[in-house]
Amino acid sequence: MTVDSTPDELYHHAAKVYGAALGRLARAYEADTDLRRDLLQEIHIALWRSFSTFDGRCSLRTWIYRVAHNVAASHVLRQRRTRSQALVGLEELENMPGGNNTLQVADRSHTFDRLLSMIQCLKPLDRHVILSYLEGHDAAAISEITGLSPGNVAVKIHRIKNLLAGQFRQGETR
Amino acid sequence: MTNELRNPAQRLWQDQPVEGITMSVEIIRKRAAKFERKILRRNVREYIAALIAAAPLGYFLVTAQDVFARATFGLLIAGLVWMVVQLHRKGSVRSMPAGLGTLTSLQFYRAELERQREAVDTVWSWYLAPLIPGLLVYTVWSAIRSPRPAAWVGLALMDAVIAGVFYVIWKMNVRAARCLQRMIDELKAAENLC
Repeated sequence: MTVDSTPDELYHHAAKVYGAALGRLARAYEADTDLRRDLLQEIHIALWRSFSTFDGRCSLRTWIYRVAHNVAASHVLRQRRTRSQALVGLEELENMPGGNNTLQVADRSHTFDRLLSMIQCLKPLDRHVILSYLEGHDAAAISEITGLSPGNVAVKIHRIKNLLAGQFRQGETR
Repeated sequence: MTNELRNPAQRLWQDQPVEGITMSVEIIRKRAAKFERKILRRNVREYIAALIAAAPLGYFLVTAQDVFARATFGLLIAGLVWMVVQLHRKGSVRSMPAGLGTLTSLQFYRAELERQREAVDTVWSWYLAPLIPGLLVYTVWSAIRSPRPAAWVGLALMDAVIAGVFYVIWKMNVRAARCLQRMIDELKAAENLC
Protein backbone atom coordinates (compact mmCIF):
# COMPACT_ATOMS: atom_id res chain seq x y z
CA MET A 1 0.00 0.00 0.00
CA THR A 2 1.34 3.45 -0.92
CA VAL A 3 0.21 7.07 -0.68
CA ASP A 4 -0.95 6.74 -4.29
CA SER A 5 -3.44 4.01 -3.41
CA THR A 6 -7.07 5.10 -3.46
CA PRO A 7 -8.93 5.60 -0.16
CA ASP A 8 -11.00 2.52 -0.98
CA GLU A 9 -7.88 0.39 -1.50
CA LEU A 10 -6.33 1.73 1.70
CA TYR A 11 -9.49 0.97 3.64
CA HIS A 12 -9.73 -2.52 2.18
CA HIS A 13 -6.12 -3.19 3.22
CA ALA A 14 -6.65 -1.70 6.71
CA ALA A 15 -9.78 -3.77 7.34
CA LYS A 16 -8.06 -6.94 6.17
CA VAL A 17 -4.78 -6.52 8.06
CA TYR A 18 -5.91 -4.62 11.16
CA GLY A 19 -9.55 -5.73 11.43
CA ALA A 20 -8.92 -8.09 14.37
CA ALA A 21 -6.78 -5.51 16.23
CA LEU A 22 -9.52 -2.91 15.75
CA GLY A 23 -12.06 -5.37 17.18
CA ARG A 24 -9.84 -5.88 20.25
CA LEU A 25 -9.40 -2.11 20.56
CA ALA A 26 -13.17 -1.55 20.54
CA ARG A 27 -13.55 -4.22 23.21
CA ALA A 28 -11.04 -2.38 25.41
CA TYR A 29 -12.93 0.90 25.10
CA GLU A 30 -16.53 -0.28 25.40
CA ALA A 31 -17.94 -3.05 27.60
CA ASP A 32 -21.52 -2.91 26.32
CA THR A 33 -21.98 -5.20 23.30
CA ASP A 34 -24.33 -2.94 21.31
CA LEU A 35 -22.35 0.22 21.98
CA ARG A 36 -19.16 -1.66 21.08
CA ARG A 37 -20.60 -2.64 17.73
CA ASP A 38 -21.51 1.03 17.11
CA LEU A 39 -18.03 2.14 18.16
CA LEU A 40 -16.34 -0.39 15.87
CA GLN A 41 -18.52 0.74 13.00
CA GLU A 42 -17.69 4.36 13.78
CA ILE A 43 -13.97 3.51 13.71
CA HIS A 44 -14.31 1.82 10.31
CA ILE A 45 -16.24 4.76 8.87
CA ALA A 46 -13.72 7.25 10.31
CA LEU A 47 -10.86 5.23 8.82
CA TRP A 48 -12.43 5.06 5.37
CA ARG A 49 -13.06 8.80 5.44
CA SER A 50 -9.63 9.65 6.81
CA PHE A 51 -7.81 7.95 3.93
CA SER A 52 -8.82 10.75 1.58
CA THR A 53 -6.35 12.95 3.52
CA PHE A 54 -3.66 10.33 4.11
CA ASP A 55 -0.43 11.90 2.83
CA GLY A 56 2.17 9.35 3.91
CA ARG A 57 3.85 11.62 6.43
CA CYS A 58 3.51 8.80 8.93
CA SER A 59 3.25 5.08 8.32
CA LEU A 60 -0.11 3.55 7.43
CA ARG A 61 -0.08 1.59 10.69
CA THR A 62 0.49 4.76 12.75
CA TRP A 63 -2.33 6.50 10.87
CA ILE A 64 -4.76 3.62 11.42
CA TYR A 65 -4.05 3.38 15.14
CA ARG A 66 -4.23 7.16 15.60
CA VAL A 67 -7.64 7.32 13.92
CA ALA A 68 -8.93 4.29 15.83
CA HIS A 69 -7.70 5.44 19.24
CA ASN A 70 -8.86 9.02 18.68
CA VAL A 71 -12.37 7.87 17.73
CA ALA A 72 -12.38 5.61 20.79
CA ALA A 73 -11.12 8.39 23.10
CA SER A 74 -13.87 10.62 21.74
CA HIS A 75 -16.34 7.83 22.56
CA VAL A 76 -15.00 7.60 26.14
CA LEU A 77 -15.39 11.37 26.58
CA ARG A 78 -18.97 11.22 25.28
CA GLN A 79 -19.83 8.36 27.64
CA ARG A 80 -18.12 10.07 30.61
CA ARG A 81 -21.19 12.23 31.18
CA THR A 82 -23.52 9.27 31.51
CA ARG A 83 -21.24 6.92 33.43
CA SER A 84 -20.11 7.45 36.96
CA GLN A 85 -17.05 5.17 36.83
CA ALA A 86 -13.91 7.19 37.52
CA LEU A 87 -10.99 6.47 35.23
CA VAL A 88 -7.52 6.11 36.71
CA GLY A 89 -3.96 6.43 35.43
CA LEU A 90 -1.32 3.69 35.42
CA GLU A 91 0.51 5.35 38.29
CA GLU A 92 -2.65 5.49 40.44
CA LEU A 93 -3.47 1.89 39.60
CA GLU A 94 0.03 0.80 40.54
CA ASN A 95 -0.19 2.66 43.86
CA MET A 96 -3.67 1.41 44.77
CA PRO A 97 -3.80 -1.06 47.64
CA GLY A 98 -3.79 -4.41 45.86
CA GLY A 99 -3.19 -2.63 42.56
CA ASN A 100 -0.54 -5.14 41.65
CA ASN A 101 -3.00 -7.81 42.57
CA THR A 102 -5.65 -6.82 40.11
CA LEU A 103 -5.31 -9.93 38.05
CA GLN A 104 -6.23 -12.81 40.29
CA VAL A 105 -5.48 -15.83 38.20
CA ALA A 106 -8.00 -18.63 38.47
CA ASP A 107 -8.30 -19.76 34.87
CA ARG A 108 -7.58 -18.31 31.48
CA SER A 109 -11.04 -16.87 30.93
CA HIS A 110 -11.15 -15.32 34.38
CA THR A 111 -7.69 -13.85 33.89
CA PHE A 112 -8.77 -12.32 30.62
CA ASP A 113 -11.85 -10.76 32.22
CA ARG A 114 -9.70 -9.21 34.95
CA LEU A 115 -7.22 -7.93 32.38
CA LEU A 116 -10.07 -6.42 30.37
CA SER A 117 -11.67 -4.74 33.38
CA MET A 118 -8.30 -3.30 34.38
CA ILE A 119 -7.82 -1.86 30.88
CA GLN A 120 -11.37 -0.46 30.82
CA CYS A 121 -10.84 1.54 34.02
CA LEU A 122 -7.77 3.35 32.63
CA LYS A 123 -7.73 6.90 31.29
CA PRO A 124 -7.73 7.00 27.46
CA LEU A 125 -4.05 7.82 27.00
CA ASP A 126 -2.86 5.11 29.41
CA ARG A 127 -5.35 2.73 27.86
CA HIS A 128 -3.81 3.53 24.51
CA VAL A 129 -0.31 2.71 25.78
CA ILE A 130 -1.29 -0.59 27.42
CA LEU A 131 -3.25 -1.69 24.34
CA SER A 132 -0.33 -0.87 22.06
CA TYR A 133 1.94 -2.81 24.39
CA LEU A 134 -0.41 -5.79 24.40
CA GLU A 135 -0.58 -5.64 20.60
CA GLY A 136 3.19 -5.99 20.59
CA HIS A 137 4.19 -2.49 19.45
CA ASP A 138 7.62 -1.27 20.50
CA ALA A 139 8.23 1.94 22.48
CA ALA A 140 9.17 3.93 19.34
CA ALA A 141 5.91 3.00 17.58
CA ILE A 142 3.85 3.77 20.69
CA SER A 143 5.62 7.12 20.99
CA GLU A 144 4.85 7.99 17.36
CA ILE A 145 1.17 7.10 17.68
CA THR A 146 0.51 8.67 21.07
CA GLY A 147 2.81 11.71 20.92
CA LEU A 148 4.34 10.80 24.28
CA SER A 149 8.13 11.04 24.48
CA PRO A 150 9.99 7.70 24.18
CA GLY A 151 11.20 8.14 27.76
CA ASN A 152 7.66 8.61 29.04
CA VAL A 153 6.48 5.58 27.07
CA ALA A 154 9.31 3.52 28.58
CA VAL A 155 8.23 4.54 32.10
CA LYS A 156 4.62 3.62 31.35
CA ILE A 157 5.60 0.27 29.84
CA HIS A 158 7.67 -0.45 32.94
CA ARG A 159 4.57 0.21 35.07
CA ILE A 160 2.43 -1.97 32.80
CA LYS A 161 4.92 -4.83 33.06
CA ASN A 162 4.93 -4.46 36.85
CA LEU A 163 1.16 -4.63 36.91
CA LEU A 164 0.94 -7.66 34.67
CA ALA A 165 4.06 -9.78 35.06
CA GLY A 166 3.72 -11.06 38.61
CA GLN A 167 0.20 -12.26 38.17
CA PHE A 168 0.82 -13.98 34.87
CA ARG A 169 3.91 -15.72 36.24
CA GLN A 170 1.70 -16.89 39.09
CA GLY A 171 -0.86 -18.12 36.57
CA GLU A 172 1.67 -20.13 34.62
CA THR A 173 2.98 -21.92 37.69
CA ARG A 174 -0.49 -23.22 38.66
CA MET B 1 5.84 -10.54 16.78
CA THR B 2 6.28 -14.32 16.88
CA ASN B 3 4.45 -16.48 19.37
CA GLU B 4 7.67 -17.23 21.29
CA LEU B 5 8.49 -13.55 21.73
CA ARG B 6 5.11 -12.64 23.16
CA ASN B 7 4.71 -12.60 26.91
CA PRO B 8 1.68 -14.30 28.56
CA ALA B 9 -0.33 -11.07 28.75
CA GLN B 10 0.27 -10.29 25.07
CA ARG B 11 -0.62 -13.86 24.11
CA LEU B 12 -3.81 -13.76 26.15
CA TRP B 13 -4.78 -10.41 24.64
CA GLN B 14 -4.00 -11.21 21.03
CA ASP B 15 -5.52 -14.69 21.10
CA GLN B 16 -8.92 -13.56 22.34
CA PRO B 17 -11.85 -14.35 20.05
CA VAL B 18 -12.70 -11.14 18.23
CA GLU B 19 -16.04 -10.02 16.91
CA GLY B 20 -14.62 -7.98 14.07
CA ILE B 21 -16.69 -6.55 11.28
CA THR B 22 -16.08 -6.95 7.62
CA MET B 23 -17.64 -4.33 5.43
CA SER B 24 -17.22 -3.83 1.73
CA VAL B 25 -16.53 -0.28 0.57
CA GLU B 26 -20.09 -0.13 -0.76
CA ILE B 27 -21.51 -1.02 2.64
CA ILE B 28 -19.15 1.47 4.33
CA ARG B 29 -20.43 4.20 2.00
CA LYS B 30 -24.03 3.33 2.87
CA ARG B 31 -23.28 3.18 6.60
CA ALA B 32 -21.43 6.53 6.42
CA ALA B 33 -24.48 8.09 4.75
CA LYS B 34 -26.75 6.48 7.36
CA PHE B 35 -24.48 7.79 10.10
CA GLU B 36 -24.76 11.31 8.66
CA ARG B 37 -28.55 11.00 8.54
CA LYS B 38 -28.52 9.90 12.18
CA ILE B 39 -26.55 13.02 13.15
CA LEU B 40 -28.92 15.18 11.07
CA ARG B 41 -31.97 13.62 12.73
CA ARG B 42 -30.45 14.23 16.16
CA ASN B 43 -29.86 17.90 15.29
CA VAL B 44 -33.41 18.26 13.96
CA ARG B 45 -34.76 16.68 17.17
CA GLU B 46 -32.81 19.21 19.27
CA TYR B 47 -34.17 22.14 17.26
CA ILE B 48 -37.74 20.80 17.43
CA ALA B 49 -37.44 20.46 21.23
CA ALA B 50 -36.27 24.10 21.37
CA LEU B 51 -39.19 25.14 19.15
CA ILE B 52 -41.65 23.36 21.42
CA ALA B 53 -40.13 25.15 24.43
CA ALA B 54 -40.36 28.50 22.62
CA ALA B 55 -43.90 27.97 21.27
CA PRO B 56 -45.81 29.18 24.38
CA LEU B 57 -43.52 32.22 24.55
CA GLY B 58 -44.25 32.85 20.86
CA TYR B 59 -47.97 32.66 21.55
CA PHE B 60 -47.66 35.19 24.38
CA LEU B 61 -45.51 37.41 22.16
CA VAL B 62 -48.19 37.49 19.45
CA THR B 63 -51.15 37.98 21.81
CA ALA B 64 -49.48 40.44 24.24
CA GLN B 65 -51.19 43.82 24.47
CA ASP B 66 -48.45 46.14 25.68
CA VAL B 67 -44.89 46.82 24.67
CA PHE B 68 -43.35 45.59 27.94
CA ALA B 69 -44.94 42.17 27.58
CA ARG B 70 -43.83 41.91 23.98
CA ALA B 71 -40.30 42.92 24.93
CA THR B 72 -40.28 40.29 27.70
CA PHE B 73 -41.34 37.40 25.50
CA GLY B 74 -39.27 38.60 22.54
CA LEU B 75 -36.14 38.75 24.70
CA LEU B 76 -36.82 35.33 26.24
CA ILE B 77 -37.24 33.77 22.79
CA ALA B 78 -34.05 35.45 21.54
CA GLY B 79 -32.22 34.17 24.64
CA LEU B 80 -33.50 30.63 24.06
CA VAL B 81 -32.49 30.68 20.39
CA TRP B 82 -29.00 31.93 21.29
CA MET B 83 -28.70 29.23 23.96
CA VAL B 84 -29.69 26.43 21.60
CA VAL B 85 -27.34 27.61 18.83
CA GLN B 86 -24.44 27.81 21.28
CA LEU B 87 -25.33 24.47 22.85
CA HIS B 88 -25.21 22.95 19.41
CA ARG B 89 -21.87 24.61 18.59
CA LYS B 90 -20.13 23.90 21.87
CA GLY B 91 -21.93 20.69 22.89
CA SER B 92 -19.93 17.61 23.79
CA VAL B 93 -21.39 15.47 21.03
CA ARG B 94 -19.69 15.75 17.69
CA SER B 95 -20.10 13.45 14.75
CA MET B 96 -16.52 13.03 13.48
CA PRO B 97 -13.92 15.36 14.98
CA ALA B 98 -11.33 16.66 12.54
CA GLY B 99 -7.66 15.68 12.49
CA LEU B 100 -8.17 12.07 13.48
CA GLY B 101 -5.14 10.74 11.62
CA THR B 102 -2.86 13.76 11.67
CA LEU B 103 -2.99 14.39 15.42
CA THR B 104 -1.28 12.17 17.94
CA SER B 105 -3.50 10.78 20.68
CA LEU B 106 -2.03 13.28 23.12
CA GLN B 107 -2.80 16.28 20.88
CA PHE B 108 -6.25 15.02 19.97
CA TYR B 109 -7.31 14.14 23.50
CA ARG B 110 -6.05 17.47 24.82
CA ALA B 111 -7.88 19.43 22.11
CA GLU B 112 -11.13 17.59 22.88
CA LEU B 113 -10.76 18.26 26.62
CA GLU B 114 -9.97 21.93 25.98
CA ARG B 115 -13.04 22.26 23.76
CA GLN B 116 -15.24 20.79 26.50
CA ARG B 117 -13.58 22.90 29.21
CA GLU B 118 -14.17 26.05 27.17
CA ALA B 119 -17.86 25.14 26.86
CA VAL B 120 -18.42 24.64 30.61
CA ASP B 121 -16.07 27.46 31.62
CA THR B 122 -18.08 30.04 29.66
CA VAL B 123 -21.52 28.62 30.55
CA TRP B 124 -22.43 31.92 32.19
CA SER B 125 -22.10 33.92 29.01
CA TRP B 126 -23.87 31.58 26.58
CA TYR B 127 -26.28 29.55 28.70
CA LEU B 128 -27.41 31.73 31.60
CA ALA B 129 -26.85 35.39 30.69
CA PRO B 130 -29.01 35.33 27.49
CA LEU B 131 -32.11 34.68 29.61
CA ILE B 132 -31.46 37.52 32.08
CA PRO B 133 -32.69 40.50 29.96
CA GLY B 134 -36.06 38.83 29.37
CA LEU B 135 -36.41 37.90 33.05
CA LEU B 136 -35.46 41.43 34.15
CA VAL B 137 -37.96 43.08 31.84
CA TYR B 138 -40.59 40.58 33.03
CA THR B 139 -39.88 41.52 36.67
CA VAL B 140 -40.09 45.27 35.99
CA TRP B 141 -43.22 44.85 33.88
CA SER B 142 -44.95 42.72 36.54
CA ALA B 143 -43.96 45.15 39.29
CA ILE B 144 -45.42 48.09 37.37
CA ARG B 145 -48.58 46.18 36.50
CA SER B 146 -49.24 45.10 40.09
CA PRO B 147 -47.91 47.85 42.39
CA ARG B 148 -48.74 45.97 45.60
CA PRO B 149 -46.20 44.85 48.23
CA ALA B 150 -47.57 41.28 48.21
CA ALA B 151 -47.06 41.01 44.43
CA TRP B 152 -43.54 42.43 44.77
CA VAL B 153 -42.68 39.86 47.43
CA GLY B 154 -43.95 37.13 45.11
CA LEU B 155 -41.80 38.50 42.29
CA ALA B 156 -38.77 38.76 44.54
CA LEU B 157 -39.24 35.15 45.63
CA MET B 158 -39.55 33.97 42.02
CA ASP B 159 -36.38 35.88 41.06
CA ALA B 160 -34.56 34.46 44.08
CA VAL B 161 -35.48 30.90 43.04
CA ILE B 162 -34.32 31.56 39.46
CA ALA B 163 -31.09 33.14 40.76
CA GLY B 164 -30.57 30.08 42.98
CA VAL B 165 -31.03 27.69 40.03
CA PHE B 166 -28.60 29.79 37.94
CA TYR B 167 -26.08 29.73 40.77
CA VAL B 168 -26.27 25.93 41.11
CA ILE B 169 -25.89 25.46 37.33
CA TRP B 170 -22.91 27.86 37.31
CA LYS B 171 -21.23 26.14 40.30
CA MET B 172 -21.68 22.68 38.75
CA ASN B 173 -20.07 23.90 35.55
CA VAL B 174 -17.21 25.57 37.42
CA ARG B 175 -16.57 22.22 39.11
CA ALA B 176 -16.70 20.39 35.78
CA ALA B 177 -14.28 22.95 34.27
CA ARG B 178 -11.84 22.41 37.16
CA CYS B 179 -12.02 18.65 36.69
CA LEU B 180 -11.35 19.01 32.94
CA GLN B 181 -8.50 21.44 33.65
CA ARG B 182 -6.87 18.88 35.96
CA MET B 183 -7.04 16.31 33.15
CA ILE B 184 -5.55 18.84 30.71
CA ASP B 185 -2.75 19.65 33.17
CA GLU B 186 -1.96 15.94 33.49
CA LEU B 187 -1.66 15.70 29.72
CA LYS B 188 0.54 18.81 29.60
CA ALA B 189 2.78 17.25 32.24
CA ALA B 190 2.91 14.03 30.20
CA GLU B 191 3.89 16.09 27.13
CA ASN B 192 6.76 17.70 29.00
CA LEU B 193 8.08 14.45 30.46
CA CYS B 194 11.21 13.19 28.78
